[in-house]
Amino acid sequence: MVGTLTDSEIELNLKSDRPWICVVWDDPVNLMTYVTHVFMVVFGYSKEKAHELMMKVHNEGKATVSSGTREEMERDVQQLHEYGLWATIQRADEL
Amino acid sequence: MSSKFLRNEQGFTTITFTTQESQVLINLLEQLLELLGDSSVTGDHSDPLMNLFGSSGNDAPPDDPVLRRLLPNAYSDESDAAEFRRYTESGLREKKRSAAHIVYEALLPSELQSDTEWNSDQPVDRSIFKVVIDSRDIQAWLTTLNDLRLALAVRLGIGERSAPDDSTEKSAQRFELMTDNDPMKAVYAVYSWLGWLQQSLLELLIDGDEK
Repeated sequence: MVGTLTDSEIELNLKSDRPWICVVWDDPVNLMTYVTHVFMVVFGYSKEKAHELMMKVHNEGKATVSSGTREEMERDVQQLHEYGLWATIQRADEL
Repeated sequence: MSSKFLRNEQGFTTITFTTQESQVLINLLEQLLELLGDSSVTGDHSDPLMNLFGSSGNDAPPDDPVLRRLLPNAYSDESDAAEFRRYTESGLREKKRSAAHIVYEALLPSELQSDTEWNSDQPVDRSIFKVVIDSRDIQAWLTTLNDLRLALAVRLGIGERSAPDDSTEKSAQRFELMTDNDPMKAVYAVYSWLGWLQQSLLELLIDGDEK
């Protein structure tokens, strides 16, 4: 629906090819080692990067774990839901 | 309850449960499978057309709080969340069901189990139950143990909005203060046990990654 995009939205889409993000939220059930493991399996992140992201979720309540097109983020969220992580999709500019 | 996942000499992951432990797991898995709409457990027949299209046709969040946690909204915007759910929820349910089924079937007693002990001079000990897990099934065990913990946590009220800083330590204290005849205390004991089991499986996996 190109006609419904505002000028600023078009500008954003032109500026960035990664306009959507996947956010993982903290919950008191998932084990820290489990969350790290899931980030490594789903995203192929190194143990260090996965651990760092897990700590960000734990300490700040949430963390952006990936960015890309809307379709890519929907695939990521689906996989994270399969693992039982609490994940959502949003536009990068809504952060 | 002290079973833990181990790696045997052939490199297989194994776990030995007491009959009581495997019964607890079987019981929880049957409840999980029923909740996820497993037709082999509930006897329901889901719509074959819906299966064909991989769409549940359903776009509202589930009524049951456990299902809302296992099948959460992907967007904060309700109409985006509904649209996403319409096309993905049945697939997510199916993934969780098939993982839970792998664990469930591994726990059901089979003739094969006793046959493997046949050559041994030792009498077969029927009070314990050994499971050898195929490496392809490890992730199914891991996610299913996690789903069971998520489900029990909802029933126990862990992490509810009314208790936003319900950390592991705080919820442990809350349940330890309960009297022994409070049924939730036993549920919490199972929840802690599952966490311990999951941690032992993760330690094996992490150990494997580092080698």
